Amino acid sequence: MYSGLSLDQAPPISVVTRFFLTVPIFGLALCGLILVNPQAVLTPNHPFSLAVIHLFMLGVITMSMIGALFQMQSVLGGRPIPSAQGNAFLIHLFLLIGIASLSSAFILNSPPLFIVASLFLGAGILHSANLILPLLFGGGIHDTLRGMRLALISLFITAVLGIIMASEYANASFSGFHEAIRTSHYSLGLVGWIGTLIIAVAFQVIEMFYVTVAYSAWCKRNAFRIIAAALLLKIIWLFGALPLAWMFDLVIAALLIGFATTTANRLNMRKRRVSDVSIWFWFFGIGLLVVSILFYGVFEVSGYPPALSASLIAFALFALSVILGMIGKIVPFLVWFHLNSAGYMDAPIMSNIIPQTRAKYLFALTVLTAFLALEGVILPDAFALAAITGGGMFALLLFNLMNALRLYRHTLTHGKRFEQM
Amino acid sequence: MILLDTREEDHPIPLERAVEAFKKLRGEEVIHMIHRREPIPLFEIITNNKGRYKSTMDETGIWHILITRSDTVDLESIDV
Repeated sequence: MYSGLSLDQAPPISVVTRFFLTVPIFGLALCGLILVNPQAVLTPNHPFSLAVIHLFMLGVITMSMIGALFQMQSVLGGRPIPSAQGNAFLIHLFLLIGIASLSSAFILNSPPLFIVASLFLGAGILHSANLILPLLFGGGIHDTLRGMRLALISLFITAVLGIIMASEYANASFSGFHEAIRTSHYSLGLVGWIGTLIIAVAFQVIEMFYVTVAYSAWCKRNAFRIIAAALLLKIIWLFGALPLAWMFDLVIAALLIGFATTTANRLNMRKRRVSDVSIWFWFFGIGLLVVSILFYGVFEVSGYPPALSASLIAFALFALSVILGMIGKIVPFLVWFHLNSAGYMDAPIMSNIIPQTRAKYLFALTVLTAFLALEGVILPDAFALAAITGGGMFALLLFNLMNALRLYRHTLTHGKRFEQM
Repeated sequence: MILLDTREEDHPIPLERAVEAFKKLRGEEVIHMIHRREPIPLFEIITNNKGRYKSTMDETGIWHILITRSDTVDLESIDV
């Protein structure tokens, strides 16, 4: 009778929302830092720059992706995370302390804070990988799970390399491999963790949410193998100080361009033309991905530093755009699902939990922030303006999330149960 | 049999339509939902609210889900 998938797998709503609610808080903090000193943030390796990069990549991107993984694992993995509530609390707390300590450590140049950051970030990330990775092996397997495996392994190694670098900063002593470690750290973080998880999610949700033609089986089967091989070889090349390491960047860039164009085509050819702001976020995100790759190409050819800054900013905003689109889908679904599952059958419909108008304002602020941030690479004043619009964007995200949870709690208190209808 | 063909509908419409139809089920009524994916979250809502379901995939990869609130209807005996 049943399909073999066990029920009651969905974790409580608080497991996911605790991660999502922290995202705009870190977003507002990093916008504040940019506003205080936009020029310093744009200076490569400046403490402010490193603080903002880690606030964004960990506080905004990783925080939302770990939260989403708690939900995805139970739905896609078919095997729920054990003690989801307790583990989510612990991992969230460790990340919270670790991210705040790391950013402060950069700004204050404080060795003790680097140690605190290493301990808590290391514990949070390693525990996440240790908790979720075994669940991705041994059960049923599909392409999205393969992507989740690679993403988590990459995050794990990124964290280990990050801890090594933090100890170097704490002791103000840098090994001969520092540059290889640094490049491996950000390559694995950006491509292996963020890029891979977004591709894995796209393979699942683009077709499911928007009724598109499926990605080709070849593409789904081989994308993660190519990324894994290119990253592994790049790291070997970096540590061996071998020439032509850029070849592997070229392979990854070609794959990412292929992903971007394929996804845009799929979305363009979708069967139903229903207006959905999350599709705009996907389109804008993959556009930024292409912009990021083009700027990286310009940097590789010319060595012009602002091109590298623009590439990193565009990549970060690509991830943010996709994440904002997905949070706009996930949170209303969670509120609707948990209320209906608990028997509150007059739960609001999903489109009323985060109304389209507010989702459109969020998209407009995202677009404005992206244009100003990219222009800011040349004009620091525009970068400061991007911090203001970015602040507005994160404030609206916080409002949307809190309002959705207010609706959830209101229905729990005043809603009509199924047996009363 | 209440037919609910959601194959061409974007998320989350299929889930919302199925739950709306489930709320209105009376007596021995059965919903026959046709969908391109197996709607796993729907099953938790149905079973948590004293419903039953049968989910099968046909040879073309399309899912047929039978849903009822009746204790007596034999879902196994219904061919889709």
